[in-house]
Amino acid sequence: MNSKYRGPIDPDSLLSAINAEEKARTSAKLRVFLGMSAGVGKTFAMLKAAHQKKNEGVDVVVGIVETHNRSETAALLNDLEIVPRKKIQYRETVLEELDIDTIIRRKPELVVVDELAHTNAPGSRHQKRYQDVLELLDHGIDVLTALNVQHLESRKDAAESITGISIRETVPDSIIERAGQVELVDIAPIELLKRLSEGKVYLGDKAAAAAAGFFKEDKLTALREIALRFTAERVDQDLQKFSAARDQQPWQTNERLLVAVSHSPYSEKIIRATRRIAYSLEAPWIAVHVDTGIQLNSEDQAQLNRNLSLAKELKAEVVTMVDTSLAEALKRICRQKNVTQVIVGRPTRRWFRDLLEGGSLLNHFIKESLEVDIHIIRQDQKSQFRPSVWQELKHYRSATGWIKYWNTLWFLAAITALSTVIEPFIGYRTVGFIFLLGVLTVGLFGSLGAVLMAAAVSALTWNIGFIPPKFTITISQPEDFILCIAYFVVAIITGFLTNRIRFHEKVIRDREDRTNMLFQILQDISNAKDKREFIEKTVSRVDKTFDADCGIILKSKKGNLDVESNKHMPWKLDDKEQAVAIWCFQNRKSAGWSTDTLSQSRSLYIPLRGANEVVGVFVFKPNRKIKKMGSEHSTLLFAIVGQLGISIERHFLGRRLQEAQRLKDSEVLHQTLLNSISHELRTPLTAMLGATAALDSDLIQDPYVKDIARSLNDTGTRLNQVIENLLDMSRLSSGVLALNLEWHDPSDLVGVVLKRIKTSTANHVIVVEVPADLAMIKIDFRLFEHAISNLILNATQYTPKGSKILIKAHRHNSVLKILVEDNGPGIPELSVPYIFEKFYRVPGAPPGGTGLGLSIVKEIVNLHHGELGFEANSPHGARFVISLPIEEQPTMPAEEE
Amino acid sequence: MTNSELRVLLIDDEATIRAALGINLKSQSYTVAEASTGQEGIEKTKTFHPHLIILDLGLPDMDGIQVLRELRTWTTIPIVILTVKDDEGTKVRLLDAGADDYLTKPFGPSELLARVRVGLRHHGLAEATPVFESGDLKVDINQKQVSIAGNQVKLTKTEFELLSRLVRDQGKVISQTQLMKQIWGVTAEHETHYLRIYVKQLRKKIEKNPADPKHLLTEPGVGYRLV
Repeated sequence: MNSKYRGPIDPDSLLSAINAEEKARTSAKLRVFLGMSAGVGKTFAMLKAAHQKKNEGVDVVVGIVETHNRSETAALLNDLEIVPRKKIQYRETVLEELDIDTIIRRKPELVVVDELAHTNAPGSRHQKRYQDVLELLDHGIDVLTALNVQHLESRKDAAESITGISIRETVPDSIIERAGQVELVDIAPIELLKRLSEGKVYLGDKAAAAAAGFFKEDKLTALREIALRFTAERVDQDLQKFSAARDQQPWQTNERLLVAVSHSPYSEKIIRATRRIAYSLEAPWIAVHVDTGIQLNSEDQAQLNRNLSLAKELKAEVVTMVDTSLAEALKRICRQKNVTQVIVGRPTRRWFRDLLEGGSLLNHFIKESLEVDIHIIRQDQKSQFRPSVWQELKHYRSATGWIKYWNTLWFLAAITALSTVIEPFIGYRTVGFIFLLGVLTVGLFGSLGAVLMAAAVSALTWNIGFIPPKFTITISQPEDFILCIAYFVVAIITGFLTNRIRFHEKVIRDREDRTNMLFQILQDISNAKDKREFIEKTVSRVDKTFDADCGIILKSKKGNLDVESNKHMPWKLDDKEQAVAIWCFQNRKSAGWSTDTLSQSRSLYIPLRGANEVVGVFVFKPNRKIKKMGSEHSTLLFAIVGQLGISIERHFLGRRLQEAQRLKDSEVLHQTLLNSISHELRTPLTAMLGATAALDSDLIQDPYVKDIARSLNDTGTRLNQVIENLLDMSRLSSGVLALNLEWHDPSDLVGVVLKRIKTSTANHVIVVEVPADLAMIKIDFRLFEHAISNLILNATQYTPKGSKILIKAHRHNSVLKILVEDNGPGIPELSVPYIFEKFYRVPGAPPGGTGLGLSIVKEIVNLHHGELGFEANSPHGARFVISLPIEEQPTMPAEEE
Repeated sequence: MTNSELRVLLIDDEATIRAALGINLKSQSYTVAEASTGQEGIEKTKTFHPHLIILDLGLPDMDGIQVLRELRTWTTIPIVILTVKDDEGTKVRLLDAGADDYLTKPFGPSELLARVRVGLRHHGLAEATPVFESGDLKVDINQKQVSIAGNQVKLTKTEFELLSRLVRDQGKVISQTQLMKQIWGVTAEHETHYLRIYVKQLRKKIEKNPADPKHLLTEPGVGYRLV
């Protein structure tokens, strides 16, 4: 393993590592005792550890431990609390299993669970014991457990081949990754054999027979090596984590892996293998797909996409390149990215493809003196994937199927016909050149396969149809024979070369087009005045380039996809298509035509991704009926859509920022205005009230002055009321009022109100019927205080002195009702519909009042999702009812008396 | 100590307010000095040696809260703040910044005088004991005993803690955040319903009419006060 010297460890890093450990402690910890086989003393070591913990004061219980009648182990169990096992009836027998429910109820700090790989009896909650352990960990209980190395999923194959025994009970490696600590319980094989011969090792009834073959020194040594190696890897990873935390460089090794991904299902296996190697080396890895111009059918394309997304899932850096030569492309990327190791599969191609395409990838690599190590991944015989001859031949098929081959045949037939006509004038040898011209033409327009076929067919036709003796495969003249062979070779090479040149040209042209297009779109975006303009320009550009109809559906302000909007959609989507668009938006994945999801749709839907969110969906409806979009097309389209998404998001963010700024500004302005008005109006009022109070005090004896002082005081108080109403109204209607909702007691509310308006209610009889044990309500106290006091003051203003005002509160189902009623003259029926309107005053009402009071009350109550109602009191008078929904009451910790 | 020996400093830029407050304070024979700016107020505090300061928030030269902070760097004399009604946030901030009490404009003279009395008492100018007596309510912090009209009242631990916290600063308003922090800890600071529930329970035990409390008063939006 990697054992580079990493320099001294400084105290800071130690501290941070300790912190990490502390953090791990808060979530439950798993400690695994790993052994090479049964009998090494895992259970013993585990129980020892449990005892140690117990002595440290940890609450330890034993979930399940098999002592196998070993007295040393049994002795260790003596003073530990053992949770009784759960008995499960299975057919005739009763099986005992770990009782997780009881343990979770008991809630110890640490539980001991032996034999992690155990399979539970049918009828248990989990199939496997390790799942039980995971559940215990999720409940915050630490677990000590024991495991033999052969039960680890990743080591199972190796262990099976060593021992020759098939292993059925396995645990996934992920559980070991979860473990905070893995402890190897090691013992020399000779020692183990000695213990075995002394009868100190229990093997179980069934295992006893197998044990004879199992417990051999060589086999034990091999198992021991696996266990040691596993533990070493684990330690190395811990160290890596530690040093990574220290100097912020996640990758300590200089290794960098590369795997080439094709459309073969076999690629999956190589990708997984690469990830395994990369993981153990802690090295980054790159998955490369090289588009060599081979036309893929939809199945192959789908497999390729699956392979690439698998690599992405496994955290590879995925690169797609276009090049005629796979080997060249890989060499280039190896140099660019400083790749040190290349992982390839065992070649499976048949000889003719090697011949035609210039040897296998492996050969290429080995021949080149690249400074890379090459791993060849082995294949299991049973799962070996070898394509059939037909499948391999199909590689040469073109995108449009076999049609090019037919065209080539017709073309050759035409040339043959022409040659037959002119052969008497030019001689059969010149005909060969006409054929060669034909092959070159095919090379210019046809695919590689078509060129090969043209070369072969034309050579045969020339031989049979023109070279004497005619209509036989035999050739009489030796020079003709050489001519024919040379023809074949020249035809293949020239055809092949023209084809390659054409492909190269196409690749370069495509790349240029793509760059140009992206450049133009970027220009469009940066030159556009607004979002609408650049969206329109981009969409029309895509329309033209791809021969399709495109549109964009954007996210609405509410955050969902605005499918009804036709702002950027030239056509209307039906329900089905809308559903596809919404799926694409919600799952942030492309959907519809040319994808694996909802592919019966006629359009392709691509999420418009910004840096942080999906801002909408790009809709692409091809005009021609093709099953699938070509890979170069889709790369370009996705690049454009990506650019568009980022630009739209930027635009969105800019607008949101403006909006927020505007709101903030208006709120600040409003608040400043209100504060200064409220200060400027109330300060003189305070001075006035203070002065009138002084006039009304014992200092002045003149009754006339006192009388004036009192009426001044009354008007001052009324003015204050009006000011408060105006300020409240303005605050409520500004829309910037934030409710300060807290739980309050209705009786407290009424008490505070009555205390505050005591002087104003002195001339009326106030009766309060508010029970002390009503439900609490979640309200803005200050606003509600104002609402209730407005209702009471209203009653005092509109009723003669000495009238009774009743304030009542009660609960009606899940609604709290607060009533303010009086026995005054009441409100004329004609006025009732208008009383809650701003500035409305009941005709004939006494002077003083703005007609704002009730509308303020109504607004405040509505803000609290309540209702304000009016009803006539009998026999006369008015009754205002506030109905507030009662929310679920808050809870609080109980307390003993 | 008679009232005439007690000095009160008024810091307010409005002459009319100073006049109105002055008349009412002088009617109780307090000795009153006035300052119209923050700077002048700070200077006068050094020379006049007031027993209590009444401080308006809107001053021409500096913010009232600035004056408060500056005074608090070297003196603990009681400071009563003049504020307007709608600004509960400011009130709480001022109380937390070291103000002893506040008055909401417009206020009556009786309120003013009551606050001045409470403020002066707190500064050791009136007797402070671990025993609180007001009307029928008697609380003895040391003995952990609470009685109403001579009858023992049994309180839970938290109820008593709440009550004794209020007794410690009797007459003064204590902000809801302070109560929450001191009784339930910082983590429960926003669980104000704890406080409401306990106030309600406490009122049931110590008030004759819990709906119309005479001792444990709610200061809307700010906190509670025990009188």
